[in-house]
Amino acid sequence: MIEEQPNGSSGEPIIVCRDVHKWFGSFHVLRGVTTSVDRGDKVVVVGPSGSGKSTFIRTINRLEEHQQGDIIVDGVPMTQDVRNIDAIRREVGMVFQQFNLFPHLSVMQNVTLAPMKVRKWKRSEAEDAAMGLLERVGIPEQAAKYPAELSGGQQQRVAIARALAMQPKIMLFDEPTSALDPEMIREVLDVMRELAESGMTMIIVTHEIGFATEVADRILMFDEGVIIEDAPPREFFNNPQQERTQTFLSQILA
Amino acid sequence: MMAAAPQPAPGQRLPPPRSQVGISGWMRENLFSTRYNALLTVISAAIIVLALVYGLRWVIAGADWSVIAVLGGQLVIGQYNTEGACPGQNCFWRPQVALMLVSALFGMAWGMGGGEVAKRIGIGVVVLLALFAFLPYSFERMGMDVRLLLAANIPALLAGWAVARYVGMTMRGMVIYIAAAFIVTVILLRGLPGIPGLQPVLVIYWGGLTLNLLLAVVGIGASLPIGIALALGRRSNLPLVKLLCVVFIEVFRGVPLITLLFMSQVLVPLAFPEDFNTNSLLRAGIVITLFSSAYMAENIRGGLQALHPGQAEAARALGLPGWQTTLLISLPQAIRNVIPAIVGQFIALFKDTSLVYIIGMLDVVEFSRAFIQGNTEYLSSAKEVFIFLALVFWIFTYTMSYVSGKVEEHLGVGQR
Repeated sequence: MIEEQPNGSSGEPIIVCRDVHKWFGSFHVLRGVTTSVDRGDKVVVVGPSGSGKSTFIRTINRLEEHQQGDIIVDGVPMTQDVRNIDAIRREVGMVFQQFNLFPHLSVMQNVTLAPMKVRKWKRSEAEDAAMGLLERVGIPEQAAKYPAELSGGQQQRVAIARALAMQPKIMLFDEPTSALDPEMIREVLDVMRELAESGMTMIIVTHEIGFATEVADRILMFDEGVIIEDAPPREFFNNPQQERTQTFLSQILA
Repeated sequence: MMAAAPQPAPGQRLPPPRSQVGISGWMRENLFSTRYNALLTVISAAIIVLALVYGLRWVIAGADWSVIAVLGGQLVIGQYNTEGACPGQNCFWRPQVALMLVSALFGMAWGMGGGEVAKRIGIGVVVLLALFAFLPYSFERMGMDVRLLLAANIPALLAGWAVARYVGMTMRGMVIYIAAAFIVTVILLRGLPGIPGLQPVLVIYWGGLTLNLLLAVVGIGASLPIGIALALGRRSNLPLVKLLCVVFIEVFRGVPLITLLFMSQVLVPLAFPEDFNTNSLLRAGIVITLFSSAYMAENIRGGLQALHPGQAEAARALGLPGWQTTLLISLPQAIRNVIPAIVGQFIALFKDTSLVYIIGMLDVVEFSRAFIQGNTEYLSSAKEVFIFLALVFWIFTYTMSYVSGKVEEHLGVGQR
């Protein structure tokens, strides 16, 4: 029997990475990443630019192919098999730095596209669910608009609703607030906070230290393609073990 | 010390200065902003006025347009209804019915609520047809049959409008209608052996504007999907698919269309079984389509390349398979981005259909040229004929350009 832990973590790993390596051409970007994420865990990934943190979360839904090591997501091994990749992608939602909404589709169409085409839902079903999600992220009145008519913060909230529409078990966030004006960062973080409280498994690449402290169960520090520190936020910020982490923190907190 | 200008109260919006508004403001801003610009404005205005005065004087008083009435329906169908093509019968009604099918299509687009554009085109077609059908020329010059040909398209268009408005018409219905109308047109023009009234007419007798339009419709209809396939193939990860597409595109883009048309007479039959009946029209249609596809592929590839890679990534991350990502996300955006280039290609293709004269086909231009050469009494009217032909081509190409502009506006290119 699985014992519930206080923060929603179940102690049951949903993502397992073992000695993951990745090269861009001859550049060795991931140099043996080993970690696991439990169901319901919120993991924040930090690190200097070029450290491989974005590449790492993109290997989890195969936007980047890893060339060595094992990645197992929700019991499905990530292989060349397209069926496995599609099965994993159905369960893993992703939110991008640049939102990547589909500009030729309305907000409603953006959210309903994947449930209708991939999950084969009826339009009415998909639209009801989408309306519920748009209410959850606080912008039901924008459903008929096109992405270009929305502010950056609103676009990112639509992107979150779009990812949630597939009812994923895991959500990946790749610097979701880095392209936003300061006054819009909060509205996106509020939505993510609510999502975290609902028990979603989340991996978040971010520089928002306040948010990380509040929401994360663990913080992973990436440097030069490996995880050099893995600790709960209080420990990570107050008592970092690695010198590299200390200098990184002193730079971003300065 | 200068007195400080009064500050606007908070929230107060001041009107723009007088020099920026009104007719005098506009003229000062746009026509006479500097001494040199004023000079250029005056020179341009003089050229425009002179051209209009002399042009209109010639069109109304100087030119002799009777040759157009004499050519009449032959401009539309060429030699189709001559004794050689259609011995012992009047075959005039066959291309006429085909044209009426096209007019009905315009009516349907208008009637099914195609918006202001479809309405304007519908009305424009009716006005043009009525104008030529009821021109005040004597019956000897412009026969009753031609007038009927033109006038009959008006009820056809209105019937299409009525069907779409009161019976209902969907996009799928339109596609089916277009496909059916095309097949019926080909059957009507070719004829069916053994059916009285539909005796076969050899394609060497097909001609006039019908020939240009037929080749253009086939070329436009086929080169877009083939071009899309080639563009996707050229971006494929499979080296052999990519090689095949690159070679196809570079070969067909690198050879003049005239050369290809000459070659078609020799090479296309090689690609088909020996007993396969290829005629010169089919061969020309294939060559024009393939030639245009190569350009189309590069237009579409340009549109695909302009897309942010994040678009496809977002679609894949949602679990959409590759083909749906291409079909639903990449292609619609790519095509929207390159509508002007695609329509430019359609216009070029339509004008290029005149080149089939070099393989002996009498399109509307070649037919008119041959007519003038064969009827020396009209030699002096050559300028009227070719100006009229220029106008006819321009009406078609401008319509395409107008529709594309409206489609772009509707899709909000550059705004979203």
